[in-house]
Amino acid sequence: MEEEKEAVLRQLEQSVEANPHDSALRFDLGLLLWEKWNETAEAKEKAAEHFLASAKLNPQNGVAFRYLGHYYSRVSLDIQRALKCYQRALSLNPEDSDSGEALCDLLDEGRKETLEVAACREASERSPRAFWAFRRLGYLQVHQNQWSEAVQSLQHAVRGYPTCADLWEALGLAYNRLGRFTAAIKSYGRTIELEPTRVFALVESGNIFLMLGSFKKGVEQFEQALQISPQCVSAYYGLASGLLGLAKECIHLGAFKWGATLLGEASQVAKTSTNLAGNLSCIWKLNGDIQLSYAQCYPWVEEDQGLEFNAEDFNASIFCWKNTCYLAAISAKFSYQRALLLAPWQANIYTDIAISSDLINTLNKRTGHDLDTWQPPEKMALGALLLEADNYDFWVTLGCLANHNALKQHALVRGLQLDVSLAVAWAYLGKLYRKNGEKQLAKQAFDCSRSIDPSLALPWAGMSADFHSRDTASDEGFESCLRAVQILPLVEFQIGLAKLALVSGHISSSQVFGAIRQAMQRAPHYPECHNLNGLFCESRFDYQSAIASYRLARFALISFSGNVSKSHVRDISINLARSLSRAGNALEALKECEILKKEGLLDAEGLQIYALSFWQLGKNDQALSEARNLAAGVSTMERKLAATSVSLICRLLYSISGLDSAVNSILKMPKELFQSSKISFIISAINALDQSNRLESVVSSSRNYLKSQDEISRMHSLIALGKLIKHGSEYCLAFQSGVAHLKKALHMYPNSCLLRSLLGYLLLSNEQWNDTHVATRCCNVGATYSPTKEGLKTAFEILGAGAVACYASSCSNPKFSFPTCSYQCLDEHGAIEQLQKCLHIEPWNQTIRYLLILNLLQKAREERFPHHLCIVLKRLISVALSNECYSNTDVPCQYQRFQLLLCASEISLQGGNQISCIDHAKNASSVMLPNVYLFFAHLLLCRAYAVEDDIMNLQKEYIRCLELKTNCQIGWICLKFIESRYKVQTETNILELSLKECSLERKNSQDMWMGVFYLAQSLICIQNQDFLSAEEFLAQACLLASPESCLQLCHGATCMELARNGSDSQFLSLAIRSLTKAQEASVIPLPIVSALLAQAEGSLGSKEKWKKNLRLEWFTWPPEMRPAELFFQMNLLARESEARSDTSQVESCQSPQKWFLRAIHTNPSCARYWKLLQKIVV
Amino acid sequence: MKLAGLKSIENAHDESVWAATWVPATASRSALLLTGSLDETVKLWKPDDLILQRTNTGHCLGVASVAAHPSGMIAASSSLDSFIRVFDVDTNNTIATLEAPPSEVWQLRFDPKGTILAVAGGGSASVKLWDTATWNLVATLSIPRPEGPKPSDKTSSKKFVLSVAWSPDGRRIACGSMDGTITVFDVARAKFLHHLEGHYMPVRSLVYSPAEPRLLFSASDDTHVHMYDAEGKTLIGAMSGHASWVLSVDVSPDGAAIATGSSDRTVRLWDLSMRAAVQTMSNHTDQVWGVTFLSGGGACRLASVSDDKSISLYDYS
Repeated sequence: MEEEKEAVLRQLEQSVEANPHDSALRFDLGLLLWEKWNETAEAKEKAAEHFLASAKLNPQNGVAFRYLGHYYSRVSLDIQRALKCYQRALSLNPEDSDSGEALCDLLDEGRKETLEVAACREASERSPRAFWAFRRLGYLQVHQNQWSEAVQSLQHAVRGYPTCADLWEALGLAYNRLGRFTAAIKSYGRTIELEPTRVFALVESGNIFLMLGSFKKGVEQFEQALQISPQCVSAYYGLASGLLGLAKECIHLGAFKWGATLLGEASQVAKTSTNLAGNLSCIWKLNGDIQLSYAQCYPWVEEDQGLEFNAEDFNASIFCWKNTCYLAAISAKFSYQRALLLAPWQANIYTDIAISSDLINTLNKRTGHDLDTWQPPEKMALGALLLEADNYDFWVTLGCLANHNALKQHALVRGLQLDVSLAVAWAYLGKLYRKNGEKQLAKQAFDCSRSIDPSLALPWAGMSADFHSRDTASDEGFESCLRAVQILPLVEFQIGLAKLALVSGHISSSQVFGAIRQAMQRAPHYPECHNLNGLFCESRFDYQSAIASYRLARFALISFSGNVSKSHVRDISINLARSLSRAGNALEALKECEILKKEGLLDAEGLQIYALSFWQLGKNDQALSEARNLAAGVSTMERKLAATSVSLICRLLYSISGLDSAVNSILKMPKELFQSSKISFIISAINALDQSNRLESVVSSSRNYLKSQDEISRMHSLIALGKLIKHGSEYCLAFQSGVAHLKKALHMYPNSCLLRSLLGYLLLSNEQWNDTHVATRCCNVGATYSPTKEGLKTAFEILGAGAVACYASSCSNPKFSFPTCSYQCLDEHGAIEQLQKCLHIEPWNQTIRYLLILNLLQKAREERFPHHLCIVLKRLISVALSNECYSNTDVPCQYQRFQLLLCASEISLQGGNQISCIDHAKNASSVMLPNVYLFFAHLLLCRAYAVEDDIMNLQKEYIRCLELKTNCQIGWICLKFIESRYKVQTETNILELSLKECSLERKNSQDMWMGVFYLAQSLICIQNQDFLSAEEFLAQACLLASPESCLQLCHGATCMELARNGSDSQFLSLAIRSLTKAQEASVIPLPIVSALLAQAEGSLGSKEKWKKNLRLEWFTWPPEMRPAELFFQMNLLARESEARSDTSQVESCQSPQKWFLRAIHTNPSCARYWKLLQKIVV
Repeated sequence: MKLAGLKSIENAHDESVWAATWVPATASRSALLLTGSLDETVKLWKPDDLILQRTNTGHCLGVASVAAHPSGMIAASSSLDSFIRVFDVDTNNTIATLEAPPSEVWQLRFDPKGTILAVAGGGSASVKLWDTATWNLVATLSIPRPEGPKPSDKTSSKKFVLSVAWSPDGRRIACGSMDGTITVFDVARAKFLHHLEGHYMPVRSLVYSPAEPRLLFSASDDTHVHMYDAEGKTLIGAMSGHASWVLSVDVSPDGAAIATGSSDRTVRLWDLSMRAAVQTMSNHTDQVWGVTFLSGGGACRLASVSDDKSISLYDYS
C-alpha cells in the first residue's frame, strides 16, 4: 500500500516537474498530499504550496481555494486569509457546501451574524441549488424569530436535505409559530420518523394536538416522549393536560366513570411532575383543575348485590361517595392555593379558588350561613376582579358565586357592559330572573343568550322549563331539555328531562333512560332520581330493578331530604307496591299497602293494588270488601282512574263471586260508569260467557266509546270468540259462526292483522278439516315482519300449522309427487322458508321451532327420508325435546312433546334404528294425553315391531290400538294395512266399524274416508293377487268419492290388469271410463293415466285415440323424470306417424330410431328393448 | 362524510341474505365479501363490481352468520341447525366442522389476533370460545342467572344470546341477548364482569369502536342504537331515527361514523360527533340484515345485505 502510494506520489511529482505550469497536475498532487498522506503539518504545508501554485495558475479553480481555506483555518490558523479563500471559493461556486459551512462557522465563531446572513443570502441568490445556504439561512432566521422567511428558506433547504431531522424540526417550529398547525404536525411527524428519539418534536406536536382538541393523539405523543426522556417536565405537563382534556370529553358524554378513571391517571402524572418541578405555578394549577374535575364527575356506583339493599348500606355508600368528592375538592383548593402562592399576580387563580371553595361548601352543606359576612368564594372572586377589573369572565364568576341577588345581578350586568355578546352572562341573568319570578325578563335573557351561542345548555333548559310551566307544547319543552342534556349532562337537566318525558309520553326513549342513569351516578342522594329510574324500569317491564329503585328512593327521601313530605312518601310507596304486585310478589305489595293504610295515605290507586293483592293471595273476602271501598269512591275520581277502578271491580266480581253475581252487580251499577273502551272490553267478555245475554244493552251502549280502528278490530275478535261459545254446543265450539263474523269484520277492516290471524286460527281449528288451505291464505305473512304477539296466534304459526295440516299446500316439487288435491293449493309462501325466516328473527321461539320440525319431517317424507335431512331433524328434535318448557304439564305443551317424540321415532325407524324408535314411541305412549292421540304412539310401535318381526309384541300393540281408539280415520286405515300385511289375528270387522264410527263425527268427509278405506282394502287384495275383489272395492270407492282422480286411476289400472289377464273384455270399457274420469278430474295432468288410456283405446282398435293419449302422456311427465317406456312408446308413435308424414306432432321431432335408442339409454337393463333392437338392426 | 352507491346486485342469492362480512386481503388477492343466505349457500364476491367468486354449499338450513379470520385465509359460517363450517377461503376446503346443539349457535366472530373464535351461544345463554389452532372448545362464558327471589316468569330466567363482539385489544367480549341486556366478559380470566342496561328488546348486533377499546355500539329491536362506555357500564349516547328494528351495526375504520341496517328497509350513516343520521339509503326493498365496513387499503367500502335477496356496495368517504 505504502509503496503504491509512494509510486503514485513520485509519478505525480515527476509530471509536475516536467510541466510546472499545469495547474491541474499541481492540484492533484496537492490533493494527494492533503488527503492521502500522513496527517502531518509538514505534508499539509506542502500540499498548501501546491494548491497555491495551482490557484495562481488557474484562478477559476474554486476547490483549490477551498483547500487553501481549510489550510489557513485549521493548520496555520490565519482566519482572515481563510475567510478570503472561502469567499473566493464560494464566489466561484456558490453550491460548494463545504466552503460555505466552513465560512459560516468561522463567521459564527467571530460573532459576525450579519455577515453570515449576507454570505448565505448571496449564495442562495446566486444559485437555487445552494441548499446549504438555504439551510443555514433558515436556521439563522429561526434564531432571529423571522418565522415566515424561515419557512421559505427551510422549505427550499428540505429539498436538498430530505433526511435531515434538524431541518424538519426547525421547519415544524416555524410553522407552529406561524399558526399553521397541521403543517407543523406533519413536519414534526417527519422528524420523528427520521429520528424517533426527538423529544422536542414529540412534545411540540403533542402540544399542537392538545390545542387542536385531538387529546388522544396528543397523549400518545407525550407518552412516547416520556419513554425517551423520563424526566421531561413539559411532557408530564402535556400528558396530564391531555388526559384532563380526554376526561372532559368523556364527562360531556356522560361517561363519568370513564372520566374518573382518566382523571385518576392524570392526577398521578400531575403528582409526578409536581415532584419534579414543585415551583411551577402552572403545574399546581393543572393539578387543581384535575382534582376539581374529579370532584365534579366522580360517580356513585350501585353495588351489584343491589337488589337487597338496606338503608345503612345505602347511607354508607352515599357517604363514601360524598367524601371522595369532598376530599378531591379540598385537594383542588390546596393545589390552587399553592399555585397562587407561587404566582400571586395571576388573577384567574383567585377565581379558581373561589369556584373550588364554593364546591366544598355545597358538598359540605354549609348553605345556611350568615348572609351578612363575606364568604371565601365571594372574597376570592372579588380578589380576581381587583387585579383585573375589566375581565368580564371574572364578573360572571362573581355573578354565579355571590350570595346576594342584587350583587349577582350587578356583576352579570357589569360583565355584559364589558361585552354585550357574552352568552353565559345572559344565560345566568335569565336564570336569576326566573328565580325571582320575572318570567318575561328571563325569557328575553335566555333568547338573547341562545341566539348568541346555541351550543350553551342553560338557555335550552331555561326554555324547556318555560314550556313546562305554560303546560302547553310539552313536546317542544322535551326537545329543548333533551338538547340541554346532550350539550351538558347535568343532574338537574337530566331529572327535568325525565319528568318532562313522563308528561309528554317519551317514556321509552333511550336518551331519557341514559340520562336518568347518569343522574343517579351524580346525585344518588336525590330521591327523584331513584323514583324516576324506577318508573322507567317499570315501563320496560323490569320490575325487580324498579322495586330496588323505589326502595332506594325511599331511603334517600328519609335520609337526605330535610323535611319529608307525606305525599312524596305515599307516591313512592304506591309505586313500590305496584311494582311488587306486577312482579308477582303479592305478599310484599300487601304489606306496603297496609303500612300506607295505617298512616291513612291509601288513595284510589293504592286501594286497587290492595284489593288485587288480597285476591292474588286468595283472601277473597278482604278483596271484595276493599273493592267495595273502592266502588264507594268511584264517583269522585277522575275519569281515567274511575275506568280502571270499575274494570278492576268487574273482574274481581267475576273471578270471586262468579258469572251471575258479576252480571247482577254490573246491572245494578249506574250506566255512566261504563263510558270507556277499557270497561267495554271487560263487560263484553263477561257477556260472551253469559248464555242469557243479560248485559246486552250495557255492552252495546259501552261499545260506542270504542274509537280507534285497533280497538274496534280487537272488539270484533272478542265478539267472534264469544260467538264460538254462545252458538256452540257443550262439547263443540261453533267455529262456523265465528268464522262468519270474522269474514264480515275483515271485509270492513281488511288490513287488520289481528282479525286475519284469528280467522286463520279458527279455520285451522275447525273440525271439518277442509279449510286448512284457506287458512294459510288469509293471513298475510309477507306484509308483517314483526311476529308481534297480537291475538292468539301469529301469522307464521298459522302458516306453519296450515302447511303441516294440508299436505297439498306444502308439497311443491313434482319430482317427488303429483298432487291430486282439487283445492289447488300452490305453495306461494314456501312454508319452510318462511318458518326459517321467522326463526331467524326469533330464534328463541319454541313454537316456530316445533312447526319447522314438523314441516321438515313432511318434506323428508316427501323426499323419501334423505340422509342429510334426517340428521338435521334428529338434531333439531333432540334439542327441542330438551327444552325446559316441555316439563310443563298442560295439554298443548304435552301434545307438542308427543308429536316431537313421534317424529324422532319415525326418523329412527326410517334410519333403521328400531331400538331408539321403540324407545321414543314408548316415551310418547306414556305422555299424559287423551287416548285418541296415544293411539298413534302404539301404531308406530306396531310398525317398529313389524320391522323387527316381533309378532308377539306386534299383536299386543295392535290390541292396545283397538282398545285406545282414535277419531282420526287415517289411523284406522294404517292399522288395517298392518293387520293384513302381518296377518294379525283379530275379530273380523272391528276396524271397519270403528272407522265408520269416527267418520260420523265429520259428515262432510265421510264418503271420502270410506273411499280411502276401500282403496286400502283393494290394495291389500292386489297384494294377494286377487284382482277381482280389488276391482269391486275400487268400484265402490269410486262411487263414494268420484272426483278423486287417484281412485279412478287405481280402478282403471286394475281393470286393465283384469282385461290383460283375459277375464272379460267389459273391463276394458270400464277402464276407459275410469281413466277418462281421472284424466278430467286431475288438477295437474297425472302421468300414466293417459298411457293406460292409450293402451285401452288401442286395444279396442281406436288408433287415433291411442295416438292422442300417448301425446298427452308425453307432456304429463317432468322432463328429467321421463321413463324408458315412455320413449319406447314414442318410438312406436313416431313410426306410426312417419308413415303418415305428420310432422307437426311431438313424436316427429326425431326419428323413431332415436326414440328407441333413448329408451335403451334410459333403461339399458330391459331385455325386451335389446331384443327389439336386434330385430331393427338386422 | 357520505356514502355513494357503487353497485347493487339483485337476486344475488335465491333467498333472503342474512349475513355479510369482509374477508381481509391476503398477499395474493384483494379483500372479498362473504355473504350467507337462507338458500343454504355462502357466496364470495370480489369488489368493486361484485363478481361472484364462488358459491359454497353444504349447510342444511339457512346460514345465520359468517365470520372471517383476520388473516383473510379462513372463514366460518353457521346455519340454523348449528353446524359451524370453518373453511379455507381460497380453496373451499373444510378445515373444521364444529357442532353444537341447534339454537346454540348464533353470531360468530374471530378475535382480533385470530386465535379464538367466539360463538354467541343462543339458547345456552353463553358465549363459547373455540381455539383456532386445535378447534377445541376452550371456554364457555356463561351469563349468570338473575338472583331475584323468584323469577317473574319462566322465559326470562334464561337469556338467548344473539350477538357477540370483541374489543379491539382482544381483552373483552360483549354479548347481546334477547331481553335487551348486554353482558361484558373478561376474556383472559373467562369471567363475567357486568351487564349494560338500556335496551329492552333483543340486541341483534354489537360492535366495538376500532379507535377506542371502551366504546361499544349496539343495535336493538327497540329501534335505538346505543353507545356505551363498556368498562364504566354507562350509556353515553342513544341514536334514534329508525322506524323499526335495528338489525345490524358496524363502525367505520376511522371510528368517526357508524352504519346501521334496519327492518324499515334503510341503511343509515350516523355521524358520531353529531350523534345524528347524516344519510339514509333506501335502495333495499326489504329489511336489511347486515351492514359491514371494509377496513384497510385505500378507499373504504360499505356493503349491505337484505331480505330482498340483493347485495349493495357503497363508497364511504
